[in-house]
Amino acid sequence: MAFKSLEDVVFEVPKNWPKPKYDFTKNPLSGSKIELGRVLFYDPILSKNNMISCASCHSQFTAFTHVDHSLSHGIDDRIGTRNSPALMNLAWHSSYMWDGAVNHLDMQALAPISHPDEMGEKIETVTLKLQRSKQYRSLFFKAFGDSMATGERTLKAMSQFMLTLVSANSKYDSVIRKQAQFTIQEKNGYTLFQKNCASCHAEPLFTNLQFENNGLPVDTTLHDHGRMNITKNKADSLKFKVPTLRNIEFSYPYMHDGRFKRLSDVLKHYTSGIHQSKTLSKALTNKIVLSSNEKVDLTAFLLTLTDRKFLFNPEYSFPKKIISSRPKD
Amino acid sequence: MRSGFIIFCFVICANSVLAQTNKTVGLFFIPLFGKSDLKLEQYYKLGVDSVMIESLRFYISGIELKEKDKVAWIEPNSFHLIDLANEKTLDLSLLIPSGIHFTQVKFNLGIDSSTNVSGALGGDLDPTKGMYWAWQSGYINFKLEGKSNICKTRGNEFQLHLGGYQAPFNNLRTVSLNIASAEKAVIALDVEQLLRTVDLSQQHHIMSPCAEANVLSERLSKIFSIQPNEK
Repeated sequence: MAFKSLEDVVFEVPKNWPKPKYDFTKNPLSGSKIELGRVLFYDPILSKNNMISCASCHSQFTAFTHVDHSLSHGIDDRIGTRNSPALMNLAWHSSYMWDGAVNHLDMQALAPISHPDEMGEKIETVTLKLQRSKQYRSLFFKAFGDSMATGERTLKAMSQFMLTLVSANSKYDSVIRKQAQFTIQEKNGYTLFQKNCASCHAEPLFTNLQFENNGLPVDTTLHDHGRMNITKNKADSLKFKVPTLRNIEFSYPYMHDGRFKRLSDVLKHYTSGIHQSKTLSKALTNKIVLSSNEKVDLTAFLLTLTDRKFLFNPEYSFPKKIISSRPKD
Repeated sequence: MRSGFIIFCFVICANSVLAQTNKTVGLFFIPLFGKSDLKLEQYYKLGVDSVMIESLRFYISGIELKEKDKVAWIEPNSFHLIDLANEKTLDLSLLIPSGIHFTQVKFNLGIDSSTNVSGALGGDLDPTKGMYWAWQSGYINFKLEGKSNICKTRGNEFQLHLGGYQAPFNNLRTVSLNIASAEKAVIALDVEQLLRTVDLSQQHHIMSPCAEANVLSERLSKIFSIQPNEK
């Protein structure tokens, strides 16, 4: 347990950002643990039939979500009930999933691994498969000073990789750091954003990390009541976790069930599609009015949240050198 | 070299002092069904019903020894998964300083809320132990699975998974028992007492924190007792 890696990594908090919620003292970052987590993230060994990896539904170039798929896809072409969320800046969250079902980043991966419509596997079996792999024994040894894959180590290594997925280098960030300037259109869009959107999509994370009902009528095929399924409290009916808007250009389709394909559909919803209900977010009780020019300006601002350094960072990409051997069964 | 020798002597002395001043207290858990020892895969009469237990697993945590109402000793890092299918988990041995006097043992049945939000943990708390809810984060405090003739489910199966760490479904319960002997305590838990209060024809699946789990957790905390008989 006292094993200490020689290649400790310091987690850098972007300037003027809040303190991360993740307790790094319980899982100090190291290069070899991050690398192990990265291999696990891209390895379909986590799924029952060794076909689906985390990256299957969370691909880097679309901000770690599943572009063009409204609902998540799993083993045997099974389809889930929610849109796979974009993954970034996870160290600042203290609940995960659209309904906040998961209470810690370490435990997040257990949900898709075990869900029959996602990876359909047991964490017990995952660790047995990893223990049988010579390659993983070596990676675990490098990371933990012991070649044994346990649930704790597997999950902590995956957290380490996911914690490194920080997006803080968009044009918006450069403007805030006074290294770039908005165009007139973007600047006008920023003003509109601050007036109409920022109470839920709060800067700098572009989410207030809360659960809100954003006025979507219930999809009658899914009957998903969101947060209420977890708390069993009617006051939480139809509330879903506010997603970040960072990299929104690439993270379509939008909403918890991926019902909107384009940003224009989203703006149309907020300006003329709000479905009234008891739990509707207070921020939406007054109608949002945007002219068509204003919608264009707001969209121009939203596109400044694209972070190409994040989308193409080679440290986040498929670890080509490493994945080669598969268990033989 | 000389200081090394002194440290060596010190370690030897300290070890022998420690060896003299610690003693072992055994906590032995004995699952019962009424008056019989509970064995897995064996049918027991329950009123008009007949039930069989396939799995009995639960967490004991936060063990404290008390004298009257004062805490005499707290077990560090106290988390134990008790599993009837794995006999050695039924016997816990506590290594305590020999000067400690106590008349009572107190423990939690389940896992406390701060541990529940502490991320991935190892040992008995490793999520590979099958006592963790993946789709609504949290430990399962107590798991009882089996078959009942009155269960109209597939294979007459029932599964009672009790847990929950957040209000209003905070289902951690504390058990306090007076113990007579200073060396060991035999702690019985009578599963019949729990099942007698459940209508298995109606209530056969509890698999998330909910109001039903609250009721059963409360009853569960009452089925523990000290057995006077020798083990």
